[in-house]
Amino acid sequence: MDEQTAIRLFFDERTDEAFCALFVEVYPRARRYFLVRNVDQMTAEDLAQAVLFRIHQKADELKDRALFYGWLFTIARNELLQHWRKQQSRIVTVELEPLAENFTVEPTGMLQLEFDEWLNFLEPNERELLLLRFVEGLTYEELTVTLGIPLGTVESRLFHVRKKLLRIADAQSGKPKASANSKTSK
Amino acid sequence: MNHGITPNEWERHLNGTLTTTEQERIDAHLIGCLPCWDFYQRMMTLNAKLQEAGEMKRDAFALSDERLRAGLLNVFTRIHNAETDEPATPLQTRLNELEAVMSVFCGEQAAVNAMQAAAAHSPAKSLKQITHENWEPFLQRLIAIAQVLCGRTGARWLLESGRL
Repeated sequence: MDEQTAIRLFFDERTDEAFCALFVEVYPRARRYFLVRNVDQMTAEDLAQAVLFRIHQKADELKDRALFYGWLFTIARNELLQHWRKQQSRIVTVELEPLAENFTVEPTGMLQLEFDEWLNFLEPNERELLLLRFVEGLTYEELTVTLGIPLGTVESRLFHVRKKLLRIADAQSGKPKASANSKTSK
Repeated sequence: MNHGITPNEWERHLNGTLTTTEQERIDAHLIGCLPCWDFYQRMMTLNAKLQEAGEMKRDAFALSDERLRAGLLNVFTRIHNAETDEPATPLQTRLNELEAVMSVFCGEQAAVNAMQAAAAHSPAKSLKQITHENWEPFLQRLIAIAQVLCGRTGARWLLESGRL
């Protein structure tokens, strides 16, 4: 069963079986949303389960099924903010264990490293936009729902993030500044 | 100077969502303007890199069937608790967690049976009668069963999860 069929089935039938089908399709994405934002695995699973629980309980609130993922990531975002707020109110002291001598970092692809490095150069709202667009694969319409901004703003923000990345890539490779940089500056 | 192309039009061009008229106008400009063509090419390369990196990031967080099942079980427990309007007690929540952990190692039905057997052969006599006072003997009984069903790793995990 594909994602769209599972979504349609759940909203049409609202049975346990339909929810199971939806869960199988959606839970990994909800969990990944938190993992990508540096939440540890156990907490990411807890938060993803909270998201799926809310979807089950508040299914009537979704007006346009085509924007399901926009709605889902709005719920996920709220859960994450709530989690961060709780974290901030706690002070935890942990004993750090020394690293084992044979400790090594798992090798990842160059592109992956480059992508993670790029994210570090971006402002939090730019990073969020990039992750939702390229990791979660949200459409512009879904981005407007998740981020609560108009379509035109989504487009122009995405363009400016791309342009910023191009400048970073140029700076890293030692190339002169992009000549088309001035293209959009009046 | 923007050569008549706005940021939004650039973005829609990269995304392939321009109208035919807009598309034709911008394509005509790109053919005749070297700086814009160069900028467009580099944007396309960057776009392809972002798409590929996004895909790799998605693949990096694959989820095992066991974790998926444990997650589903937890959500159904929450749904059930919400429907019966009975907020789960801390002990009930802990029992659900133990069952979810055990399901990962030996399957859902075996986990349910093991929980019931452990309760029946402990002072609690049944899962419903488990309290803080008789929790420890129940847990020890469950660990003993888990060592057979789930192996040492599973039993150890269960012990960690079961500590009050």
